[in-house]
Amino acid sequence: MKISDLLRLSTDNLRRRKGRTALTVIGVVVGTFSIIIMISLGIASNQQNEEMLASWGDLTQITIYNYPGSSAMAEVPTLDDAMLDQIRSFSNVVGVTPMYQAMNMTAIAYSGQRDRYMTYLWEMYGVDMDAMEAMGFQLISGSFVTSDMKFSKKQIPVVVGEHFAYSFEDTRKSYNSGKRQRYWGETDALGNPIPPFVDIDKDKMVLRLTAYDSNGNEKTKEYELVVVGVFLQDDAKGYFTNSGLAMRVSDLKMLSREYQTLSGNRSQVVMGQSQNQSNGYESVLVKVDDVDHVADVEQQIKDLGYETYSMTQIREEMQANVAKSQMILGGTAAVALLVAALNIANTMMMSIYERTKEIGVMKVLGCEVKKIRNMFLIEAGAIGLLGGVIGVALSYLASALLNNLPMISAMLGVNLDLSGLMGGLMGGMGGMGMGGAISVIPPWLVLLGLGFSTLVGVLSGLWPAVRATKISALEAIRHE
Amino acid sequence: MSAIIRVEHLRKVYKVGHEKVVALNDINLSIEQGEICCIVGPSGSGKSTLLNQLAGLEKPTRGSVYIGKHNISQMSEQELAKFRQAHLGFIFQSYNLLPSLTAAENVALPLMFKGVPRKQRMELAVQELKRMGLGKRAGHKPTEMSGGQQQRVGIARAFVSKPKVIFADEPTGNLDSQTTKQVLYRMLNMAKEHNITFVMVTHERELSAVADRIITIKDGNVESNLVLDEASKQAAKQEMFRDILEKQMPDEPNTNQPLQK
Repeated sequence: MKISDLLRLSTDNLRRRKGRTALTVIGVVVGTFSIIIMISLGIASNQQNEEMLASWGDLTQITIYNYPGSSAMAEVPTLDDAMLDQIRSFSNVVGVTPMYQAMNMTAIAYSGQRDRYMTYLWEMYGVDMDAMEAMGFQLISGSFVTSDMKFSKKQIPVVVGEHFAYSFEDTRKSYNSGKRQRYWGETDALGNPIPPFVDIDKDKMVLRLTAYDSNGNEKTKEYELVVVGVFLQDDAKGYFTNSGLAMRVSDLKMLSREYQTLSGNRSQVVMGQSQNQSNGYESVLVKVDDVDHVADVEQQIKDLGYETYSMTQIREEMQANVAKSQMILGGTAAVALLVAALNIANTMMMSIYERTKEIGVMKVLGCEVKKIRNMFLIEAGAIGLLGGVIGVALSYLASALLNNLPMISAMLGVNLDLSGLMGGLMGGMGGMGMGGAISVIPPWLVLLGLGFSTLVGVLSGLWPAVRATKISALEAIRHE
Repeated sequence: MSAIIRVEHLRKVYKVGHEKVVALNDINLSIEQGEICCIVGPSGSGKSTLLNQLAGLEKPTRGSVYIGKHNISQMSEQELAKFRQAHLGFIFQSYNLLPSLTAAENVALPLMFKGVPRKQRMELAVQELKRMGLGKRAGHKPTEMSGGQQQRVGIARAFVSKPKVIFADEPTGNLDSQTTKQVLYRMLNMAKEHNITFVMVTHERELSAVADRIITIKDGNVESNLVLDEASKQAAKQEMFRDILEKQMPDEPNTNQPLQK
């Protein structure tokens, strides 16, 4: 007996009982539909969470905190350049840079005639310029500082934030005039953007250290700031990409030393130098190649004794939350599919009872038992598959409706306030109302839906089918 | 001629509640290749049980049934299914056509189980139906046919795979006397034509007159095992099939009555 014959017999039988087949299929449709929709809601909220997290910070970045006394561990190894090399050698680590700040130093940048424009350099970091690209920092112009660039002793090459120029203020104007500062995004009466006071490409900028020695005498030292690149603003990477600036660690350390020399306070600590009592860099960024490796690398760093921070913890918490609500919703949907399975089993039992005589005749005419079993399994599986196909189609439709609710309600002229409904429905899934998709059905979910519904069909047909084969041919023929 | 069916010390006991009912006590018999054999006896004698045993539809309590060289009493269900496909045909009292299939598809069923491709088996089935005078009914469903027609489809189904042995359990039991004669005539002719051993259970003694051998069962035992002589067979056939032989078998006899229950 050929497979094609089996298929024909099975489909003939299903067609013979259209009404009953349809009702059973509807059961599977409801089950498949609800499971797919529930999972798609979960996928969508996971996606939205990812987007939200990404807007909060770099998902593949780990920050090492090494402030004095910040670690619970008594012995924290010094976070110096040697230690950075060690961390750099961890697998999956693509970049490491200190975020060195000269804490007690006051630095001011001046520009314009007679130092008319000035800005305090609070957001000034010493970084590993070679690692910046790998760390994911992007430039809108210029480049990072490279070793083949030549500068005099009085020049300091810097990469400035995208809107660094707007941080300058006009010292000739009073604080109350409203003209002392200019902001990015402001426009004049004609709608033209107002340029900053300083053109960083043309105007000369100096960095001046001002300190007072023990006698109260003012001492200053000046350097020229050479802008070699401009960051693309990325708040997830740090506010300094907006209005701060970055330079080589060595330059900032040099400035810090000079500042101490000026102030005559030799006892102050220069961070990042292991010969001091200092514990090294206070803040270091570590870039990992993939989100999935972050937890692993972070643990390795923790094992060294450092405090760390990454988005992984919060991400895992969010995922766990979504998984939890998905379990509850998916469980409800699974009940629907279970009922559908019982329904299929019942239909198959009925069908077998009705066809007892046929089964007997087929057996007597030489049909092998396993063919009879397979015939019923194919019928049950076909019910499952058919229900799955319709269920998938319907869930695509529902998904499209959900994702376009605002548009649809606008078209119908109905003012729907769905925030309450959605909040209730999603219960802690988070990330709703971000404007992203509410329901996402990836291809694998379609395959899963079809496979699962077919499997449910075959499994629920198994017991009835085996029963069918156990019917004695003789009794079956006598059955009316 | 050699024995194609051999029965040795066959015993079948049914349990009905706590009581044991001996349906077949101790049956010994043999049937020759190509014989028309009638099993007769009063109701409750065990003749149907014997047929079921011969066809391997039930396991005996004791003893063996041989068909050819095969002891079918010891075959597994799977082996039996294969054996039936290859060597046995069946005709039922209540026709037992599958209602969802057309006449031709019903006839083709045994060939389908054998794995014959659809096109080929449908051609064979239509040929067989034509031989049974039902060429125009090939595409009809069983419900659209009279009892006599349905039984002829049943006969075509039994013969289509040219088995060694065909078993028939009261094949004319639901038919009126005129239709009975026509159906019987066709069955016997087909069997003789293809040298098929034909074993038929009937309670109508007059039908058995046309057989080569009449086995009478009573109370689970063989009461008599009679081989008829050629002369009496010919006389009986002449008598029984006189009308048919005169009319030379019209394709659609109008005497067919729908099945009545």
